[in-house]
Amino acid sequence: MRFLTINHIQNAQQSLRSNRMRSTLTMLGITIGVASITTILALSGGAGKIVGDQVDALGGNIAVVRPGTQSETNLQDITQFPSAQHFAASTLTENDLRAIQNVPHVKALTPLMILSGAVKASSNAPVNTAIVAASPDLATISGLEVQDGTFLDPELSPYTAIIGPQLSIDIFGTEQSIGKTVTVRGQAFTVIGILKRQNNPINYNGVDFDNSVVISREAGRALNDGASQIQQINIQSDSISNLNNVIVDVNKVLLKNHLGEGDFVVLSGEQIAQPTNRLFMAIAGTTTAIAAISLLVGGIGIMNIMLVSVAERTREIGVRKALGASNYDIVSQFLIESLSLSIGGGVSGYIIGYLLAFGVSTFLPFNPIFTWEIAAVAVGLSIIIGTLFGLYPAIRAAQKDPIDALRQYD
Amino acid sequence: MPNTKTPPSTAPVIVLKDLRKRFGIGESEHYAIDGIDLTIQKGEFIAIMGPSGCGKTTLLNILGLLDSKIEGEYELEERSVASLSSRRQANIRSQQIGFIFQSFNLITRLSVIENVALPLIYKGVSQTTRLKQASAILHTFHLGEREYYMPYQLSGGQTQRVAIARALVNDPSIILADEPTGNLDSHASHIIMEELSDLHKRGNTIIMVTHNPRLTTYASRVITMLDGKIDTDTGAPKKAEDPNKKKPLNKTSKKRKNRKKKATKA
Repeated sequence: MRFLTINHIQNAQQSLRSNRMRSTLTMLGITIGVASITTILALSGGAGKIVGDQVDALGGNIAVVRPGTQSETNLQDITQFPSAQHFAASTLTENDLRAIQNVPHVKALTPLMILSGAVKASSNAPVNTAIVAASPDLATISGLEVQDGTFLDPELSPYTAIIGPQLSIDIFGTEQSIGKTVTVRGQAFTVIGILKRQNNPINYNGVDFDNSVVISREAGRALNDGASQIQQINIQSDSISNLNNVIVDVNKVLLKNHLGEGDFVVLSGEQIAQPTNRLFMAIAGTTTAIAAISLLVGGIGIMNIMLVSVAERTREIGVRKALGASNYDIVSQFLIESLSLSIGGGVSGYIIGYLLAFGVSTFLPFNPIFTWEIAAVAVGLSIIIGTLFGLYPAIRAAQKDPIDALRQYD
Repeated sequence: MPNTKTPPSTAPVIVLKDLRKRFGIGESEHYAIDGIDLTIQKGEFIAIMGPSGCGKTTLLNILGLLDSKIEGEYELEERSVASLSSRRQANIRSQQIGFIFQSFNLITRLSVIENVALPLIYKGVSQTTRLKQASAILHTFHLGEREYYMPYQLSGGQTQRVAIARALVNDPSIILADEPTGNLDSHASHIIMEELSDLHKRGNTIIMVTHNPRLTTYASRVITMLDGKIDTDTGAPKKAEDPNKKKPLNKTSKKRKNRKKKATKA
């Protein structure tokens, strides 16, 4: 039995090599599909990892409260861009903030109120510039430092702002913009600090601080018709060991505040990373769909070629049967051939996928990750497709009547 | 290639009782084999003759277990074939039956030695042993130097010798040959027939379909078929008992031919 399998593998190699062009083209479908899936997984893993690393770098004692339910990363979420609805639907309130403040072991906390709107100075800021309203604790929780000036200070006028270095260059033409005036939604703010460059557009706050304006909560509320729209509450516990207690307690008080409705989530560690970059998720979703179609088409291609191969080798099947091959032998011969096609495509797809991922990552702030899971997905998918689409041709081959098969081309 | 299998000499290898094979349905229905009773002893060299379409090849396919949709009885070494599963039948083809085809039927993708080693694959022999055995048998057919040739690089006679080597590599007790010399010139035919008659002397059972009356001289028993039935059968068991006395000389051959002509005329 073992010899037979080895022989089938040798046989498949030989027959694929004798039709090199055809085999390569057939593999291509699987290669493209597996390559795109590998790229997505490697990059999204890298994106997730970078956020996880940030959390760890900040001491690993950070929890985040977000509105909405835990099932946020569902299909709907992938297919929809972060719309206005997402920002408007926050269920977190000032009341929650006060409740969390009283939870023991909470060292620092800040709400994040992310607004959109025009930011102007001598020139207009890019449209997607984020306006972040937060407490001064944001600096310690998110590890923000100022390269110039000072961070938010409750003693100063609420109409002071800290801006990111890139934004400073965009609107003032220089990083030295302390004391200058920036207009946010028509309201003038005095720049009191410039953030240190982070080069870190992907983080658990979902904000590229290099490119945003940070203002005080009071000013944020004023800009927003006096209402709070809290997208996220960042909590820092006094130590890592107390983080779990804090999460449990925060859950309790919020549940009480929300009258028993679980319309919020408290996340920590790796969980924070997941819905960080929704745009990335949307791209990943689309690419996954394309990859799935490519794999399907690749599978059909394999089936097609295997059917051709079976037809071409009808006589060989007859001879093999006359020489003592059972139906099972014939099925395994052709199944192994289709499997070598799909696995060959899968392996080259895996390699090309990583090349692609590294190529793309030069334009991204993170690197692709290597995990055994990605390799397993690549190989697993190819095996499934090879079996699924190779089985029918193989069974057809085995069911050929040896006499008819021998008579062919006589 | 000595035959080590020694079943009791009294038991026939093949017994056919009222064998029928039907083709088509309804109006086009006809019997390619129409009631054949035949007993074949071990060690016989049988030549089956007859006009085209008389059912010779069909009979051979049935004997070789390639065609199991039959009516009547077929007992192979005292087992009824109808009771065997398709896997068991494949197993018997692999262990006990060797096929030689008119059109050689070598697999063109594979080299000579790989073709010869092919039946051993399905016997579960390891690759090294396979190639050793195949090489050994090719040497006995004086094809040792052609081992790594591709089939298309051989002459017709060589190709058929390779095919015979392939049929014999797993030491079958029954050899079925369907017009083995049909595509060969007379010189090559002679060589092939000498090989077959050699095998016969070593105790193998050979059943050969042929169009060529001259080749029947090599056989110990000649069966002629007509319209799916056995027309004549020289099957006197005596002849099967001393196959070693057969000498395929021209003289004998003519005599026997004359005798047979008379028999058919009468």
